[in-house]
Amino acid sequence: MIIFIDGKKFGIESKKTILEAARENEIYIPSLCDHSRLSPFSGCRLCIVEIKGRRGYVPSCSTYVEEGMDVKTDSPRLRKMRKQILELILSEHPNACLICSEKENCDEYKSTIRKVGEVTGCVLCPNNGRCELQDVVKALKIDKVRFPSVYRNYEVKKNDPFFDRNYNLCILCGRCVRVCHDLRGSSAVSFVFRGSKAGIGTVFDQTLLEAGCQFCGACVDVCPTGALTERALKYETLPDETRKTICPFCSIGCELKMELKEGRILNSAPSEDGPVNQGQACVKGRFTIKDAVYSSQRILKPMIRKNKELEEVSWEEALDFVAKKLKKYKGKEIGLIASPQVSNEDNFLIHKFAEYVLKTENIDSVVRFSSYAVFQDLAQKNGFELNLNFKIEDISKAKTIFLLGADIVVTHPIIWLEVLRAVNNGAKLIVASSVDFFLNRFSSLWLKMKPGSEYFLLSFLSKVIIDKSKVENLAQIEGFKNLKSSLDELDLSQAIEKTDIEEENIKKAAEILIKETPSVFIFGMELTQLPWGSQNLAGLWNLSLQTQGQLVPLGLETNLRGLFELNRHCSSNTKGFKRIIQDAEEGKVKALYLASPIPYSQKAKFEFLVIQDSFMSENMKKADAVLPAASFAEIEGTFVNVEGRIQKFNKVIEPLGEAKPDWWIISQLAQKMGHNELNYNASSEISKEMIKNIPGFSGISFQKLKKGERLFIQEEKKGKKKFVPIKFFSTSIETSKEYPFLMLVDYNLDYYKNLDLSQEIKAFGIIRNSRWFKINPNDAKKTKLKDGETMEVESSKGKVKGIVKVLESVPRGTIVASFLWNEEETISVARLVSPLSNASHSLVLLPVKIKRGK
Amino acid sequence: MENLSEFEANQKDLIHILHKIQAEYGYIPSQALSSISKHLKISESEIFGVLTFYKAFSLKPRGKHLVTICTGTACHVRGAPMILDELKRQLSIEPGETTEDDLFTLETVNCVGACALGPIVISDGDYHGQMNTREVNKLIKKIKKEIKE
Repeated sequence: MIIFIDGKKFGIESKKTILEAARENEIYIPSLCDHSRLSPFSGCRLCIVEIKGRRGYVPSCSTYVEEGMDVKTDSPRLRKMRKQILELILSEHPNACLICSEKENCDEYKSTIRKVGEVTGCVLCPNNGRCELQDVVKALKIDKVRFPSVYRNYEVKKNDPFFDRNYNLCILCGRCVRVCHDLRGSSAVSFVFRGSKAGIGTVFDQTLLEAGCQFCGACVDVCPTGALTERALKYETLPDETRKTICPFCSIGCELKMELKEGRILNSAPSEDGPVNQGQACVKGRFTIKDAVYSSQRILKPMIRKNKELEEVSWEEALDFVAKKLKKYKGKEIGLIASPQVSNEDNFLIHKFAEYVLKTENIDSVVRFSSYAVFQDLAQKNGFELNLNFKIEDISKAKTIFLLGADIVVTHPIIWLEVLRAVNNGAKLIVASSVDFFLNRFSSLWLKMKPGSEYFLLSFLSKVIIDKSKVENLAQIEGFKNLKSSLDELDLSQAIEKTDIEEENIKKAAEILIKETPSVFIFGMELTQLPWGSQNLAGLWNLSLQTQGQLVPLGLETNLRGLFELNRHCSSNTKGFKRIIQDAEEGKVKALYLASPIPYSQKAKFEFLVIQDSFMSENMKKADAVLPAASFAEIEGTFVNVEGRIQKFNKVIEPLGEAKPDWWIISQLAQKMGHNELNYNASSEISKEMIKNIPGFSGISFQKLKKGERLFIQEEKKGKKKFVPIKFFSTSIETSKEYPFLMLVDYNLDYYKNLDLSQEIKAFGIIRNSRWFKINPNDAKKTKLKDGETMEVESSKGKVKGIVKVLESVPRGTIVASFLWNEEETISVARLVSPLSNASHSLVLLPVKIKRGK
Repeated sequence: MENLSEFEANQKDLIHILHKIQAEYGYIPSQALSSISKHLKISESEIFGVLTFYKAFSLKPRGKHLVTICTGTACHVRGAPMILDELKRQLSIEPGETTEDDLFTLETVNCVGACALGPIVISDGDYHGQMNTREVNKLIKKIKKEIKE
């Protein structure tokens, strides 16, 4: 399409607005309410243009280009109107500094005056230098405001975590309202009141926390003024550089840009052109990165135990000590635990170290408990091909989305954004859960079910679909007859009894699944973490085959997929850390190399314990050597995200203290133990070797990775399909008089290595907290427990204390706890089962009793 | 708010539902917001935004009888301020307030589109044109009398 802007001819794609077309061709049109990720709004009216043959002045942000359109972006009349509009906006925005004739000379005096509470001019504004209003004032050359200025005199809202809201600076562009509603689905803020009192606010002026804010920070990122500002930046000046890297706090792999000042991270924010996240992040990536990296819990120097005390020593001494000790043990007497939160390179090397240097099979990680492992097991036993790759952007194209076993708004926020996009495009969202998730507001159907009864639901849906859809299509898939006969014994009344779902809703779900295709089945760890997790998954697998839907397995940890891929090829004979800890209890494993946090019982006594981590932990009390590993921000490497996408992350700052990359520590240790073949100078050397040796990574060149090309783990393209027959058994976890409550566990990744984010970062702990025991208001009333009190939860095996959190979303008769792999034994719900190392599988449904703790 | 089930869960019905609640209770009780939010699947902040936008909705309990006086330009020049003063004196409240016995709420409005009849006082939906202080006195007395009966 040909259009003319200011007399020049341009070729523009249709479906673009005039503003977009002009920006693409570097023609400046001032605007304040428009944002590239948001739909047009035409609120500020600054982007008005003239179009030949059209009356009046049209906003270019909401006018789409048409063939032959002749646009004028600048004329004396336009300039005059824009100036007047901007002066009107400024009359309600503190503007003394903007139009001050001395503003050029002001710089040297303004370094500390930001600390004042009231912002009456730019030099007092925390957003000074980042403000879009400043830019537009400069571009339009405003030097006076002809209207009387109004200061709204609203109180600055400082009661929420992470950012302040100063609506005295708000220009009512509505970006925050739109991003919160359109992109994030929270709608925590809205336009409130009318006329001169109109503003942005929450219901009854509640805090954002009360109004359902997720604190993703999207509103802060789009705010053109200082109305919404990150508190941590308030006392900082402008950054001197920005670097990009990948967020390590969940398996999505958002690209973040980090602002740096003199080599220190100032903050982190989602990168506008991040391939996965496209300008969005979550509370963890947006607000907690800096505090986590600079945590006071960081281990900064190598330590070894001398005279019963850990003492700081040099790397040389620490490595010599560990090497000498490890040499003493035979291979099978040493166990290693790898981490799904470090890079592929680090993990490749630790596996190589185990195989070539220690000559042990005892290497494992929490991958063993992931939904990937359950899925792989199911595939192997039943002879179908395992496909784990998917594309996040495909989710928004689905017509039906079926979600089980994860509160994705918390665990995989970017996937939630895609689900929201699909729902906004008319897709039906079916949620099967016992807890009332926030996203149920968007579901067409919430199948409120008895905890743990998923496979009855899924099998019954399978059965209905077999009866209702064309059998010929399905019968061609192997195993159909077996599946059909295995489902014979299940009838509607049984399904209703087992799941507690209303008959009407089960029928509705089946109807949606048959009619609305393509469908996507998203499942998280809570589906597979039950003792009968593989039956749950089998039910879902069958359903996805029947409806030709896409199965989306959600791995939890940052680089779980990468480590899983390594495990598939490096250590098929490994024992599993359940066995390693058990062997330790029996005295078979004598030395443990912990490169990842795990809970383990006091009973397991190791002669020699090495901890390689970035953060201090309770386990250090028992450690003989502690080796400080660098955090993600201090190294480079690759992560594989939940889709199977391989992404390179970059070094942002120098390692803190004497911390070193994990691979360096392992490499040095190997050399000390006389293995020079593990000598590497950079993580890129390991990348190259890994790409050669691990089939999943084949065909991926380091050059391509550096360029940021889209690279996925290699998989068999056309996987073999086969139905899996369902075995029915009565689920046996029931509450009793003595243990009247059922404890559910929600799995989230609110920890990084040994750091519990909710305990380290207070503001984050207000939003969600690993110590919370969530309870229904009715149960709280009955047991006389109040928010914030200490509560003791006891099972037949042990007891643990936590903090009461009363939430309506929790079903009656249940307690929802969170389980973190890095929690110390004294506070972990893992205490409630025995042995501890058995934790992950038996925690999901656990009969418990509760009382007020001291 | 148990009576929400009579409405379909259609977000377009928000204003309709708010009107019904306003008519039934004379105001929108704060608890209604969470019920509507759950029923229509709209956030409470958004509902709050809608109901604070329209003057027809009130978050404070209104009296049994609503007396509204037009203070638009035409009514103003024809003596609305004097009538307003008389109403304030009679009811001992300011515009926007409700009498202690919860019987009267006084409100002002800026034009009701019947300027030729000004000054206008609206009591419970009945329009009274060409009012003066004496007439408005009568009107209030009449309403009070009706209440007693």
